[in-house]
Amino acid sequence: MAKVRISNINKIYPNGFHAVKDVDLNIEDKEFMVFVGPSGCGKTTTLRMIAGLEDITSGDMYIGDKIVNDVSPKDRNIAMVFQNYALYPHMSVYDNMAFGLKLSKTPKSEIEERIQIAAKILDIEPLLKRKPKQLSGGQRQRVALGRAIVRKPEVFLMDEPLSNLDAKLRIQMRAELIKLHKELETTFIYVTHDQTEAMTMGSRICVMNDGIVQQVADPRTIYNAPANLFVASFIGAPQMNFFDGVVNDDHDLVIGNQTFKLTETLTDAVKKKAKKNTSLVVGIRPEDIRCGDANEGVAAIVEMTELLGSDLNVYFKIAEKQYIMKAEASNQMKMGDQIFVVFNPDRLHLFDKETGESLIY
Amino acid sequence: MRNKKKITRILLTVITVTLFLVTLFPFFIVLINSAKSSLEIITDPIALPRQWSQLFSNIEEIWTSPSIRYASSVYTSSIITILSLIAISVFSAMAAWVLVRRKTKMSTFIFLLFISGLIIPFQVVMFPLVALFRTINQTVGLQMLRTYHGMIFAYVGFGAPLAVFMFHGFIKSIPLELEEAALIDGCSKTQIFFLIVMPILKPIFVTISILNAIWIWNDFLLPSLILGVGQDIQTIPLAIAAFAGSFVKKWDLIMTAVLMAAAPIIVGFILGQKHIIKGMVSGSIK
Repeated sequence: MAKVRISNINKIYPNGFHAVKDVDLNIEDKEFMVFVGPSGCGKTTTLRMIAGLEDITSGDMYIGDKIVNDVSPKDRNIAMVFQNYALYPHMSVYDNMAFGLKLSKTPKSEIEERIQIAAKILDIEPLLKRKPKQLSGGQRQRVALGRAIVRKPEVFLMDEPLSNLDAKLRIQMRAELIKLHKELETTFIYVTHDQTEAMTMGSRICVMNDGIVQQVADPRTIYNAPANLFVASFIGAPQMNFFDGVVNDDHDLVIGNQTFKLTETLTDAVKKKAKKNTSLVVGIRPEDIRCGDANEGVAAIVEMTELLGSDLNVYFKIAEKQYIMKAEASNQMKMGDQIFVVFNPDRLHLFDKETGESLIY
Repeated sequence: MRNKKKITRILLTVITVTLFLVTLFPFFIVLINSAKSSLEIITDPIALPRQWSQLFSNIEEIWTSPSIRYASSVYTSSIITILSLIAISVFSAMAAWVLVRRKTKMSTFIFLLFISGLIIPFQVVMFPLVALFRTINQTVGLQMLRTYHGMIFAYVGFGAPLAVFMFHGFIKSIPLELEEAALIDGCSKTQIFFLIVMPILKPIFVTISILNAIWIWNDFLLPSLILGVGQDIQTIPLAIAAFAGSFVKKWDLIMTAVLMAAAPIIVGFILGQKHIIKGMVSGSIK
């Protein structure tokens, strides 16, 4: 079992593209770390550098206490699960799983034993003699996991392993991966662009954008206390609503021509971090907005509603800008209705407009 | 409308059958005439043979006659064909693999060079080739003309462009992750090629082997330039040409020898035709 330490790692491709910028990160032993971010944010490149499939331009990579910058992938004691499974098409499931062990000259009896154990964990015992072609997507994914498990690696690396599965299977496999992580007690590093996967699976999440780490924290913190505008907008579906605002001399929040009293905590934070009359971006999650009376809320017009079964997404307009809130599914709002929206003052997020950094956390 | 479709279909069938018969006719002539005596052939070349057993006595004569040296030419043809096929397939696959996986300007240039080998007709380079072989002999002292290795070397050169082209197309469709997975599993570069890439290329190997086998086994011009007619090392087409050129044309033996020469290739083609089509398609589309 091992820690992974990524120390000021940079990746610059020969064409000059700076894919990973000064990433500095400690991944603890037995942790389930999820890298999440939009396409091209450098998460896969970082993972591939941990695996040794990509050269490191500068910085140091440690697995355990050893610098592995120049160690070949096979000697890093890692296993990787790829998005397209990468099963050897000409080998049976058994041979796919045994391949790495055979190369490392593991005794036959031990290979057999490890494969049987892994097959049992993953429930693929009846498939061992089949070729990858004869398996369904979910089964292939299990075999790919099995191939990783039998190697008894110190670190599991997974590059969007669930994105080729259909929605139902993905949810099922998600749960199984969490279970597997508990059973194996090994470090997992998981790359995804799907924030639901990140939120549900990770013991910690590393949000990346443009090759830069935006925030590393547990899922709850990432959701409730996003460190900057990017994290706030990337995590959460539907997305957080943003308004432009200013804090006036009395430390009240002014949005458009309306003034709001800030809570004490927020006032303290603003006093500490923001200069007077700094332009702010105010964020509020759709579930922290509710419908109220004319005297407590801001007038808005319903643009569209989306029934999701358990709740209702309501898109509304204030001053020609569209925002979204979550309402009870039983709500009978329809297009064109006038409503009065009330923001939960405890759940406001304040960001510096220039830097995008949070003023609260 | 329906009538028009019907007529088109009948017309197509007639054309297909005609083409089939035209293509098959020379083979049919060879087949019936190899079971005749010389006299019979001259009297009526398109009549069916009186006695099919004549075929076996013809075969026996070709096989045992010391002047024809048929057995030795079968041996030579086999050696040259098999070794050339192995060399063409393995080297072309290796070259194509590197050309696909190394995305540099140099590799694009080299690939285009291979493609240009497909465009330049053989007749343009055949005399320079012989001259080159002679120069190699004079400068390095390595005998290339009238040797097995010279012949095989030439075949690899002429066979590689198509093979590299087909492998190149197919390898592009193999996901890189497969090789990366093998790398993590502990494979060296060489092991990745032989344990992972080569087995996946099997259909292309079969296609290339069959296409090249037909060509090399039947080829007359290149061996006649490099090995020479009537020399020590003789492939089957050369041997047949040798006794066709003697004072009396033994048509019965020529026909039988041609039939015997074609037989293994025809059998091979029938057994492997499924792979040819599969390999052609996967090579060109992907």
